Amino acid sequence: MNERREPLLRASNLVKEFAVHGGGIFGRAGRLRAVDDVSFEVGVGETLALVGESGSGKSTTARLIARLIDTTSGTIEFAGREVHALNGKALHAFRSEVQVVFQDPYSSLNPKHTVERIVTAPLAYQRRPIPGGARAYTGALMERVGLNPDHSGRFPAQFSGGQAQRIGIARALAVSPRLIVADEAVSALDVSVQAQVINLLRRLQDEEGFSYLFIAHDLAVVRQIATRVAVMNGGRIVETGDRDQVFGAPRDDYTKKLLAAVPRIRPEWDAARRRNERARREREDAES
Amino acid sequence: MTTTDTPLLRVRDLTVSFPTAQGPVDVVKSLDFDLPRGGALGIVGESGSGKSMTSLAIMGLLPKGATRTGSVEFAGTELTQLRERAMRSVRGDRIAMIFQDPLSSLNPYYTVGAQIIEAYRAHRGGVTRRQARAVAIEAMERVHINDAARRVDHYPHQFSGGMRQRVMIAMTLSMEPELIIADEPTTALDVTVQAQILDLLAEIRADTGAGLILITHDLAVVSEVTDHIVVMREGDLVEQGPAERIFTDPQEPYTRMLLDAVPRIDDEIGTLRTTTTEEAR
Repeated sequence: MNERREPLLRASNLVKEFAVHGGGIFGRAGRLRAVDDVSFEVGVGETLALVGESGSGKSTTARLIARLIDTTSGTIEFAGREVHALNGKALHAFRSEVQVVFQDPYSSLNPKHTVERIVTAPLAYQRRPIPGGARAYTGALMERVGLNPDHSGRFPAQFSGGQAQRIGIARALAVSPRLIVADEAVSALDVSVQAQVINLLRRLQDEEGFSYLFIAHDLAVVRQIATRVAVMNGGRIVETGDRDQVFGAPRDDYTKKLLAAVPRIRPEWDAARRRNERARREREDAES
Repeated sequence: MTTTDTPLLRVRDLTVSFPTAQGPVDVVKSLDFDLPRGGALGIVGESGSGKSMTSLAIMGLLPKGATRTGSVEFAGTELTQLRERAMRSVRGDRIAMIFQDPLSSLNPYYTVGAQIIEAYRAHRGGVTRRQARAVAIEAMERVHINDAARRVDHYPHQFSGGMRQRVMIAMTLSMEPELIIADEPTTALDVTVQAQILDLLAEIRADTGAGLILITHDLAVVSEVTDHIVVMREGDLVEQGPAERIFTDPQEPYTRMLLDAVPRIDDEIGTLRTTTTEEAR
């Protein structure tokens, strides 16, 4: 592990505090420490999953990384540069290199804009030329995320939830990012659609070599996609490790409790189903 | 027919329609299933499957404009023939419902105790406020709310999501229902809290012998909680059977696809199989 190349992203001792009101009418303004001394790295081409329950600070951490909100203290280095010191051109570059995909595709896509306008917006915002023209560029991106390119003139409401999430992914891809922050990106999707989007996210990473910071509460989903996992609880990272170590041999008590609570289909039922499935296929082959 | 072999709930040819500009649309299509006494039935499906409409149709709580046809027989009584007044006494009293979002089912302006007491007295005539309060505290203790004697005077916002769901379960418990219909009761909850609520439901069933209908999108949850499963898709009953049979030998391609698509926490990792891909469209 020590021989690893310089990480793409290095967060060190991140702290984020929010002002809150204390209890009662005379409650004094207090400070809530949502992210408390959090440090992690994301390597090139890998997926670091930040998992935790509500209030764990995982989404706040994601927003800090994408520089959607400011840190209280701590540093974030992206490709060797301090993110919160960036301005002007360098900040513009950062805004393309780090893209965010949110949980609710409909609320993160402008309902009055066509897919073409949505997908090319990051380029337009940065006043960058659109290679080959907007129509062709949008069409190519739509094909890559499994959407029909003929639908580039449609509006978000004309797509299903899974398709709308693909538009969000296409928009992220438009500027060739190096890091995609996926904040509960598949959480709101039905299970069959969720599986398709997970497969899509994995395939795109294989093709492009970018990294994911994957924020999720669903541990079974995380297990499908993560290279490494950081478990958060109460604003802190309680355990970080390779996926198989965290899932197979968790060290922290909270991680153990979290894993034990996940509802599961009995492995022996899955094994029996695979046997029955095989038998069924053999029967069908014999008949045909 | 004796009471012992009458199922607790027998649903036959249950259909729910909504009028639209293009004519009526069936969102639940000719459903048949039985729930034996003390049994636990899971209704699973994705969004738009009609699973929630099915529970509302059983309870006679369909939104305005929707029509229900078919038969819903509860402990030998045909619910579709009951007048609203009689149905109201079945609801809450003998069939209790737990929803996904307890905050929207609780009135923010009244203490949880006041709401349990009011619900209890509405269904049990001649009970004094003091007696009902004792029932409320006891019910809250049974769902493991610590310090129930004090917490009974707290307002819904003073409870966490998981605790509010406990309050809702306490409210239903105080009635000693014969059937509990839980519609996505743990979907909004964190996974550790979900585990506690599912344990609690199991404990209550063991104690009281109440039947359970659990409506959810989560196949892993139904596999742990229920012994008979109904799979729904776009209003149709795709297949039903004992839980083990559905999970080990699903007959329908749709059920197989669903089972393939569920990410597992402790099984092989590979490309999640998706038979009906959106990509193909």
